[in-house]
Amino acid sequence: MMGASGGFSAYVRRDLLLAYRRRGEAASPIIFFLLVSTLIPLGVSPDSARLAELAPGIIWVMALLATLLSTESLFASDYQDGSLEQMLITPQLLVLPVLGKVTAHWLVTGLPLTLVSPVIGVMLSLPTAGTVPMMASLALGTACLSLIGAVGAALTVSLRKGGLLLSVLVIPLYMPVIIFGSASVQSAIDGLNWFGPLAVLGAMLSAAIVLCPLAIAGALRLVSNN
Amino acid sequence: MTFQFNSLQEMWAMAGHGPYVWTAVLVSVAVLCWLLAKPIMQHRQALKSIARNLQRDGGQLDKEQPKKKNQSTPVSEDNK
Amino acid sequence: MASGRSWNWFHRMGSPRWFYETTGRWLPWLWVLTLALMITGLVWGLAFAPQDAKQGNSFRIIYLHVPASFLALAGYYIMAIAGAVGLIWKMKLSYMVMKSAAPIGAALTFLALFTGAVWGKPTWGTYWVWDARITSMLILLFLYLGVLALQYAFHSREAGNKASAILALVGTVNIPIIYKSVDWWYTLHQPATIKLTSAPSMHPDMFQPLLVMILALYSFYALALILFTRAEILQRESKTGWVRELAQQAHPAQSAGVTK
Repeated sequence: MMGASGGFSAYVRRDLLLAYRRRGEAASPIIFFLLVSTLIPLGVSPDSARLAELAPGIIWVMALLATLLSTESLFASDYQDGSLEQMLITPQLLVLPVLGKVTAHWLVTGLPLTLVSPVIGVMLSLPTAGTVPMMASLALGTACLSLIGAVGAALTVSLRKGGLLLSVLVIPLYMPVIIFGSASVQSAIDGLNWFGPLAVLGAMLSAAIVLCPLAIAGALRLVSNN
Repeated sequence: MTFQFNSLQEMWAMAGHGPYVWTAVLVSVAVLCWLLAKPIMQHRQALKSIARNLQRDGGQLDKEQPKKKNQSTPVSEDNK
Repeated sequence: MASGRSWNWFHRMGSPRWFYETTGRWLPWLWVLTLALMITGLVWGLAFAPQDAKQGNSFRIIYLHVPASFLALAGYYIMAIAGAVGLIWKMKLSYMVMKSAAPIGAALTFLALFTGAVWGKPTWGTYWVWDARITSMLILLFLYLGVLALQYAFHSREAGNKASAILALVGTVNIPIIYKSVDWWYTLHQPATIKLTSAPSMHPDMFQPLLVMILALYSFYALALILFTRAEILQRESKTGWVRELAQQAHPAQSAGVTK
């Protein structure tokens, strides 16, 4: 099934295919994102001035929750059907298959969230100056969230009810991402330079790409042995 | 270095800040005491339950004990 | 030769029995030191330190707040280092230290938040502000709670240890990032009306009792960590001969007739 040349692309393709076969499940974070955004005007106020003020933060919080929602299943089905064990015993560097799985996860959740976000921006009357920064920051930020969330998913993979625990573990680690993500949107709306916070997000993403796969691989090795 | 208050009553009142200062002190002392008391209780309970288990098993010191009861769980539950 | 001796020392330190017996000898001294420092610092800070010109007597809370915050943060690093040693050298004792450090750290973080809130009311008129340091402290509490929750989520002790050690390490890498981010976030949103005291130059008369309290809390931390670890050792090593002997000595009545 997977070529020996590089575990990375093999796992990206495999997980994308799996996601395609389970389209309904894969679409649920997007539906969640859209559904919750209709709650905000109902719960807060339909007044567009107030919504516009809250929009950057709300969109970011919802994107974070939607990513978190889908993170739990990142390794769960592989763990149940035994293919995780198979991944662990391959002679290749475990880091590459892991990174492949996380990349596929981002392609299935983070990227669609980014593409859908302008619609939500319109619904929450986000000022148009914020649209491009929002998409850019979501694209970088959700990748960070996928990587960090995967660490939590790997740690809790063998637990039957890991969902709530996963959010306890992961949300504190998410905080820097949401700070800089919503800040880049906010500063674009305020007419400030929004590349600064975006660059910090990029730096975080680079650090996460280097460090998170190591932690994920370690966690999978240790936890699945027991 | 001098005593800052004219009387103990005045120290208790702390010029109106008494409730805040003394709440902080009491809660801190309580938490710190709990942090020392909990391991001491746990220690005592562990010794007691090990001694009890030894008695029950009739001195089979070198044999592996039947592991129907987890050693640590009853101990930590007793302390709640 | 020298390196051989140092490794010998290292392995001996990894033995729970050695730890238990050595710290048993330290404990009385540590108790005396902790209590002496704590009582001196508290009485000095609460009764003899001069009151702050602006904050009045409420400033006396810093004698508890600042040392607790210090140890709350330092405790996370102690926990993470213990976890790392456990992961790298597969040292059982190290995991026990890590597991013991988690509740102590969480309690001290809670204490730092609580005393900060109580101090905030008379000083700034509100129990809670989303100040950079307070927010970071809150996140630190969440990090501690995550480690604690993960520790107890596994049926296997081994898996719980390893998982929480990894989480503690991930948290350690993140703490500086979180602190910097929150700091930056706060300067972005800083309300002009609330300026937290930064105490640039504390009067020596106020600072000396604070120093005593910081030392007291360090000593307290060592004491609590040792006590928790010793209790943990007894529970985990309950099958070993030396722990059984210890239990028999402690409760000769209950195990009478065991040694024939």
